[in-house]
Amino acid sequence: MSEDQELRDVMIRYQGGSPEAFEEIYAQLAPGVRRYLAHLAGGAEIGDDLLQETFLQMHRSRSAYNPQYAVRPWVFGLARNVFLMNRRAARRWATIHESREDLPEFPVLPEAERLGSQDEIRRGIASLHPDQAEALLLHHEWGFSFEEIAGMLGISAAAARARASRGMADLRVALNSLQRTRA
Amino acid sequence: MIDRSPKPPEALMRAIAQDLRPVKPSPQPLQLALRMIPLALLVSSAILLAVGPRQDLSVLGPFLTWGASAAQFVLAIALIWIAAHESIPAGRLPRQIVYAATVAGFLVVVFVTLLTFSTSPVSAPLVRVPPKVNELLHVSPWITGFACGIGSTVAGGILVLFFSWVFRNSLATRPTVAGALYGAGAGLAINAGWRIACPFSTPWHALGAHGAAIIATVILGGLIGRHLGNRRLHIGGRRS
Repeated sequence: MSEDQELRDVMIRYQGGSPEAFEEIYAQLAPGVRRYLAHLAGGAEIGDDLLQETFLQMHRSRSAYNPQYAVRPWVFGLARNVFLMNRRAARRWATIHESREDLPEFPVLPEAERLGSQDEIRRGIASLHPDQAEALLLHHEWGFSFEEIAGMLGISAAAARARASRGMADLRVALNSLQRTRA
Repeated sequence: MIDRSPKPPEALMRAIAQDLRPVKPSPQPLQLALRMIPLALLVSSAILLAVGPRQDLSVLGPFLTWGASAAQFVLAIALIWIAAHESIPAGRLPRQIVYAATVAGFLVVVFVTLLTFSTSPVSAPLVRVPPKVNELLHVSPWITGFACGIGSTVAGGILVLFFSWVFRNSLATRPTVAGALYGAGAGLAINAGWRIACPFSTPWHALGAHGAAIIATVILGGLIGRHLGNRRLHIGGRRS
């Protein structure tokens, strides 16, 4: 059975009232969602807070899940939703951006590892346009298809592919210029 | 290989344990939109049952009466379908589709209004009411405009409230947009019925009174969507 189908079955058990199913979903998805939120919020601490809120929202809205949907994109989309709602409510977007200076837990792309050190890659990702960085990480780091990313971001699959591709191209340029500066 | 090690914090598990009743999965967007049809049809056609169709049906022909209204109704259901998609975290449609459907709704209303007026330019019809009332309506046609505007806003408001109840668990990233979309759907659905009952075909009446009602339902839907979104945020607990 595929991982996605396995998750759908767990989700159905969870909708049926099983706390073990919730724990299983948390165990499978929390690490990835935490890193995604840390990327969006620009800090691991905020990411941890939002992670708890994401799973709380998931619990309260568990009836909104339809077994036809893939679980991972649904939960990641919910996490993004929670982040945006909190950003809107707290109106601290500027603060979040300022906090990016300390380069928090940006995931390091497997494709980019050969292009530079982890620190350089983090700096490179931080320098990208946020839309490009998000599409790039969702595809390369968390393995979502462009169709799934399109559904999460409210854009077409072609636009998702273009954002990720431009992001990777810009990342290469950023890493090259970082290395040239160092040399 | 899936990492199964992390365990949820105890506080989270306690919150989960407080409410673990089984829930029914929500329908898919298309199913949800199709389920709205009977009530939307009922509320939309209530005015037809109450005052009957306009008297120039034979002049307009079936295409401009039932056909144009059917097109508006289908578009209304499409807007509700888009709102349902907008309410799913990973099921959002591209923005272009959302904008295109909204613009299409606006253009269809304007186009149908102008076509209806050019085919049957009725500005002072005889309404099925006592002669004295007809006389009053001829002297002050704005009264009819007011009645159509208020009446279709109330009918649209009923639909918006019903849709808001259906969408109460919406997980829309942009709840105001989702609300405005189902508000637009409600407004268009109501207009589909009212335009067949309303005896006036002048653009100022159709766009002013009926158009204002559609805008009112869009705003009402947007406000309710925003309120539901904010409420969800506050239910979440953590504020900073």
